[in-house]
Amino acid sequence: MPVPAYLFLLLSGALFTMGAIGFLVRRNPLVVFMCIELMFNAVNLAFATESRFLNSLDGVVFAFLVITVAAAEVVVGIAIIVQVYRGGRQMDVDELDLMKE
Amino acid sequence: MVVAFAILAAWELVTAVGVVAFRRPIYNALSLVANMLGLAVLFLLLNAQFLFAAQVIVYAGAVMVLFVFIIALMNPESDVTLGRAGNEWIYGLVFGVIFAALLGGLLFNRGLTGRQGASTPEAINALGNVQAIGVALYTKFLFPVEVASVLLLIAAVGAVYLAMRRIR
Amino acid sequence: MDTLAPLVLLAPLAGFLVNAVFGRQLPRRVVGWIGAGSVGLAFVFALLILAQVLGGQRLDQTYFTWWQSGDFSVPFNLYVDRLSTLMILVITGVGFMIHVYSIGYMAEDPGYSRFFAYMNLFVLSMLLLVLSGNLVWLIIGWAGVGLSSYLLISFWFERTSAVLAGRKAFVMNTIGDVGMIFAAFLIFLNLRVMDYRGLFERVHQLPKGGTVITAICLLLLVGAVAKSAQLPLHTWLPDAMEGPTPVSALIHAATMVTAGVYLVARMHMLYDWAPAAAATVAIIGGVTAFFAATIGTSQVDIKRILAYSTMSQIGYMFLAVGIGAYAAGMFHFMTHAFFKALLFMAAGNVIHAFHDDQDIRHMGNLRAGLPITFWTFLIGTLSISGFPLLAGFFSKDEIIRAALNAAGGEFWLGVLALVTAGLTAYYMFRLFFIAFGWEWLTHDDRHLHEAPPVQTVPIIILATGAVVGGYIPIATFLSPVFGPAGEVGIGAFLGLAALSVLAALAGFFMAYLLHARRPELAVAWRTRLGLIHTLVEHKYYIDELYDRVFVQPALALARFLNTVIETRVIDGAVNGLADFTLVEAREFRLIQTGRVRSYALWTLGGAIGVVLIVAGFLGYLPWRFGG
Repeated sequence: MPVPAYLFLLLSGALFTMGAIGFLVRRNPLVVFMCIELMFNAVNLAFATESRFLNSLDGVVFAFLVITVAAAEVVVGIAIIVQVYRGGRQMDVDELDLMKE
Repeated sequence: MVVAFAILAAWELVTAVGVVAFRRPIYNALSLVANMLGLAVLFLLLNAQFLFAAQVIVYAGAVMVLFVFIIALMNPESDVTLGRAGNEWIYGLVFGVIFAALLGGLLFNRGLTGRQGASTPEAINALGNVQAIGVALYTKFLFPVEVASVLLLIAAVGAVYLAMRRIR
Repeated sequence: MDTLAPLVLLAPLAGFLVNAVFGRQLPRRVVGWIGAGSVGLAFVFALLILAQVLGGQRLDQTYFTWWQSGDFSVPFNLYVDRLSTLMILVITGVGFMIHVYSIGYMAEDPGYSRFFAYMNLFVLSMLLLVLSGNLVWLIIGWAGVGLSSYLLISFWFERTSAVLAGRKAFVMNTIGDVGMIFAAFLIFLNLRVMDYRGLFERVHQLPKGGTVITAICLLLLVGAVAKSAQLPLHTWLPDAMEGPTPVSALIHAATMVTAGVYLVARMHMLYDWAPAAAATVAIIGGVTAFFAATIGTSQVDIKRILAYSTMSQIGYMFLAVGIGAYAAGMFHFMTHAFFKALLFMAAGNVIHAFHDDQDIRHMGNLRAGLPITFWTFLIGTLSISGFPLLAGFFSKDEIIRAALNAAGGEFWLGVLALVTAGLTAYYMFRLFFIAFGWEWLTHDDRHLHEAPPVQTVPIIILATGAVVGGYIPIATFLSPVFGPAGEVGIGAFLGLAALSVLAALAGFFMAYLLHARRPELAVAWRTRLGLIHTLVEHKYYIDELYDRVFVQPALALARFLNTVIETRVIDGAVNGLADFTLVEAREFRLIQTGRVRSYALWTLGGAIGVVLIVAGFLGYLPWRFGG
């Protein structure tokens, strides 16, 4: 593999950071969710890299499981967001502070 | 190979910015789809054909479709909230930059340390990628697979229940 | 004998347990006779032991190992020789008399069963003290009698004066206990033994007259002085008269206060080896004897006079054991137990007759009203004054003779003792003439009546002892312990007898003159001696001195500790900690904003921290702890 491992990992790190920044900056819950998905993807890239460069299947399998979990999480999260929308509340994470204290 | 990587890396970064930056959520979603597809190709580069397929089918194909449906359902207009008040975004930016710097500094020019396994790409390809992963899933990772299936069940039940509830 | 010895202990133990647990439910008569009977039973066992001891038997028996830690081994063992046999005979014999007397004396008291329980506890502790074969159990018995004394002094606990007296006794006793314990430490440190046999075998390993052995003996002396109410730890004894009269008779006359004498006698090998300490014992004894006698001349409470008399007589015993005349000291212990217990019990009868008034100036002329009490008290007075051929005469003279025979300073202590004998006669007869009088009143409108037999028979028995007790050959009896009894030339005997009788007669006549014949002279003398009389009457102001020097500073320190340290420092620290926790919690609570983004920020911050730490461990960072 002519491309060294660290480049993949740097890319993964960059994607993750961008997802983190997006998560912190945006206020629309759906967009926040998408940033979370971006972070998951970055992590999957890291796993796949590890799997390739360490000659192990563990990384790939784990990435697969991450996809599974992300799918489940998206389902539930979307359900919640839909309920929030239906309840007439603002679609703004800053306003949704019912879990305060 | 290097060229492919360079192009893909650029694609990833651009679409990631797109996910974060667009005002209208539908554009965010579409950027994310593009990002995922790019990632899938990266998986191909890394000799993870199964993951490529899973990514395209499950992630980009199902999860993102769900996202797009919901966005279409809820508010296709622009997200007014992006530019509004509240200075937490400064914190977020600062933290993010710090984090990026940290990761960059730590990862730059370092190799992966860890125990070398036996599944070289040649060995995997000899068996077949899907077969190899299948074997691993049903032997070494049996328990996580079972747990994951229970998790999916719980998620399905939870989603149905949540959707049924009426909000006053 | 190895079964008899523990039986002596078990009898009063059983009495104590039964009366303590079931006393309230049992009828009064049963309680009283259980209490007295257990001591009587112990007396029977003691007599059996006497029979065996006279046959030459001894006992040093370990029954079980109580405490073992390294080479510090404390067995429960009992040591019976002629010395301890004498002690237990007196304790149980005189004790039995006093217990029987108490059945009558305490009959009206609501705390009847409690009284007998405590008395049995005392007898048990005293016997344990005497029969113990090692220092640790001696100290346990020592503490036990101290506890019983405290419980019984403040028996009428609704009276503040009684409670204060009990506390005072206990505190002074504790000072003595500390001395004892330090002595035990020193003994173990240097000789690695705690039992008597080992101790007596090894004591000669220490340099004679050296600092170690002298320190040990002096520390033991502290304990003895406290327990026996000698100078300077004597102030608790007069106050201890707050307790019921049988208590004063048993504990503060016949037995507990003599524990100090027993201690020195038992440890005679140590004191022989530390002449400086022995000399201290003798000096303390002699001085206390004189000192207490002087105070006794001015007191007006019948029990207090007897208390100072006790203090004085024990001074004689200390003098005796201090100069090495151990047998003489034990002889006087025995005779003193007879006549002092008798004097106290008779005084108790008088106090009851006058409805708990103890001021002798309110009494007088009791010959008709309380005949038995009158005559027995007279016998006791004669005996303690050293009237020829009575018990006190023989025992006191032996001590004085031993002192006068000795070389050096002891001679002057002997002279002091002789003078004190005169004083003793004086104040005892002063007491007799004022409280009892000599007149036969045909018509007495005070309506006094004699005490019931349960209270008079024991006194009569003890009076007999006070008369004939002098003929018991104690010195010979104790010769296996202390060495052969010295031969006394008939000349020396008569010469000293003459001197002591002279002193006694002098005292008697002074008392007769001043208090029977011409009381107005007494008043004149009192004004003449003005300052001296006030000094003596107020017990040389020692109580006041101790109060100023020890008690007030201690109270001040306690107050200081309470207001400053306790309130500000300790409570402040604890409350401050609580307040701090509250404040911090309030601050931390603000993290829970309910907003996702702030949570995410915190999470990211934490993640950065974790990455830094892990990177540090992995050695990626220049300054971190290299993993």
